[in-house]
Amino acid sequence: MDSSIVISTPPHVKSKRTTKSIMLDVIIALLPAAICGIIFFGVDAFILEITAVLGAVATEFVYFFIEKGGFAKKCKNAGAVCKLWWKQFDYTSIVSGLILALIVPPAVAWYEILIGAIFAIAIVKMVFGGTGKNLVNPACMGRIFIFISFASVGTWIAPNFDAINASEITTGATYLSGALLKGNGDAMSLVDLLLGSGLAGCIGETCKIALLVGYVYLCVRKVIKWWQPLLYVVLSAFLSVCLAAIPEDGVSAGFDIALFPAFALSGGLMFGAIFMATDYVTSPKGVYGQLVYYICLAVLTSLLRYLTGIEVVSFVILIMNLFVPLIDKYIVRKPFGYKREKKVKEGK
Amino acid sequence: MKAIKAKSFFAGIHVKDMKSLACNCPTEVMPDPAVAYISLRQSLGKPAVAIVEKGQKVKEGELIAKADGAISSDVFASIAGEVTDITELDCAGCKESFIVIKGDGSGEKSYFPPLKDATADEIKARIRDCGIVGLGGAAFPTAVKIAPKTPVDTLILNGAECEPYLTCDHRLMLEHTEEIARGARYLAKALGVSRIIIGIEANKPDAIAAFEAFDDIQPVILKKQYPMGSEKHIIYVTTGRKVGIGKLPADSGVVVQNVATAYAVCQAVELGKPLYERIVTVSGGAIAQPKNLWVKDGTPVKELVEFCGGESQTPKKAICGGPMTGVALASYDMYTHKATSGILLLTKEEAAAEEPTPCLNCGKCADVCPMHLMPMNTAFYSAAGDFETAAKLGNTMSCIECGACEYICPAKRPLIQAIRKTKAAVRAAAKKGGK
Repeated sequence: MDSSIVISTPPHVKSKRTTKSIMLDVIIALLPAAICGIIFFGVDAFILEITAVLGAVATEFVYFFIEKGGFAKKCKNAGAVCKLWWKQFDYTSIVSGLILALIVPPAVAWYEILIGAIFAIAIVKMVFGGTGKNLVNPACMGRIFIFISFASVGTWIAPNFDAINASEITTGATYLSGALLKGNGDAMSLVDLLLGSGLAGCIGETCKIALLVGYVYLCVRKVIKWWQPLLYVVLSAFLSVCLAAIPEDGVSAGFDIALFPAFALSGGLMFGAIFMATDYVTSPKGVYGQLVYYICLAVLTSLLRYLTGIEVVSFVILIMNLFVPLIDKYIVRKPFGYKREKKVKEGK
Repeated sequence: MKAIKAKSFFAGIHVKDMKSLACNCPTEVMPDPAVAYISLRQSLGKPAVAIVEKGQKVKEGELIAKADGAISSDVFASIAGEVTDITELDCAGCKESFIVIKGDGSGEKSYFPPLKDATADEIKARIRDCGIVGLGGAAFPTAVKIAPKTPVDTLILNGAECEPYLTCDHRLMLEHTEEIARGARYLAKALGVSRIIIGIEANKPDAIAAFEAFDDIQPVILKKQYPMGSEKHIIYVTTGRKVGIGKLPADSGVVVQNVATAYAVCQAVELGKPLYERIVTVSGGAIAQPKNLWVKDGTPVKELVEFCGGESQTPKKAICGGPMTGVALASYDMYTHKATSGILLLTKEEAAAEEPTPCLNCGKCADVCPMHLMPMNTAFYSAAGDFETAAKLGNTMSCIECGACEYICPAKRPLIQAIRKTKAAVRAAAKKGGK
């Protein structure tokens, strides 16, 4: 017997799934949306995607390099630190960078998204301890940072996919506000909504077909549970339909289920549900906790959409991310075979 | 009886079973070792106390160590010969007491008289006298298990063999179907139950078909799902009953016995043969010829490996038992005992030896936990030294250590290690508090 023999606690066989392979799957699932973004919005989108990804990876590397003492002793350990970084590099920063690029409008300047990516990785992720330790979704936080910091984000441009459609585009932030204002779902055809053609929006959020492809891929590869995004999107759209029926100024629009696809497909809801809410690090563990999380997400999304009329998905995900530690603490599953103890009445 | 399909339990994992390596190899009888090293710790309880002296001649099947306490069991000589030493030896990292017997090749046997038309009490006494323990791996004395304090109505034979690689129970079910059935009837008689169920995983259709021949035994096809062979889960899927936390199966009216135990009971009752040999699966990618062998207790693992053609390549891990719950060996200086179900040599490709990466908090461990626990909480808090919170938030004390969580973990975190550490710390604290 060789001295290379390994001794450890069981199990001695493990699944071939690693963090890297899961992250690779997420990147693959994001690719259709990324490519559609480039097709719709052209070279600008491509530059933004590349900038965000490179910025995120570089930020992670620099942070790691400084933290592990790459500059110490006149950079003597620099080679070793680089090797160490490559060994622990698990593609999570690529995912964060790519998601960030896909949830900003194409009007964002390249340096703006670069600052957003640096903020997302350095402040939101690495300061808290890197992979698996961040409290909130880095990409989500990066988007909000960009939105609040830079005025350019307010201008939404239509994709150059279909010049004829472009003239008909509603001038609101998204299709959503148009639909809400008019109180009907015919403002844009459903086909356009699905394809994302002639629609203002964020780089990766417009083409729903591409998102669905990613969703199916993630489900098949068992990266996410199929019911999670479905619960979020369906429940939130349904609640939005209900809210739209609330009479305004004494005039009731009536309960119109035809609005359902419009609410489900518009804005960043689907992208958020598939790629951001399901982020492992910032979502609860255990089925009951997850149910609570997705129901809260859906309720908050529909409510805030109704009240504000702007796109709120990333804010809602951020809010619920912060509740995850509480959910994890108080919703602990009962073990198999657990029976609730009957309270014995005291007294004689 | 026609086999019926059982439902599945929530969670669990699907492991590549790797049984094709050895499942078609008929059992062979391993030649007696020249020297047998018989461990005194062959059951869950205290080690047995040696009753032989150095230089004493013993026969095959002779009592050489007496049980010490309720959940200890008698130990028997596995070969005829002379006791050369009673000593402490290194065995899988622990010091343990051994009786060393040098064989004389005479093959003289000393059995109990066979029982005919045995009564329930006679069967119980025989099971205790023959030192029979649960052969599924835990080595819990069978005599204790068939004397439940609450009334039972069902006997379940556990033929799930959900551990990958192992095929010893599978071979036994094919080659000794009749004996297992008779053993099950003796057990049922001792327990006073009439309902006998045998649960077999769906990947052994030939074994399921073999057990359809009996009128009084109900074969149940279990879904291929790990850990189906866990006592609580096999009870749930075959009878629909849930065993409460900290409760025994008997509290739900069920007793579960491994098929190999039933076979040993049959041998004890009909031949008077004490338990001193068993089938060991020698398998894995790094062994030249995977085999199922009848092995006498106390056979050195080295001889087993050599009998199977030795290493075909350098193994990455050597395991005693199954790959999900077995013990990793540092060397071949180890000796088989009543609960050794397999010796596995795993290659670099098969064995898991990756460095752990940071926890992703993905919750996959909780998703697959058959006991519905939260292993990541245990790992998180025990790493910080807060074992009390670890046990509370992870419900660690209910853990059956099946290893499903660590199998699925994409970050390859050592979860079982954390769980064992937490369990030990909580037990130590409870002991301290009790005093």
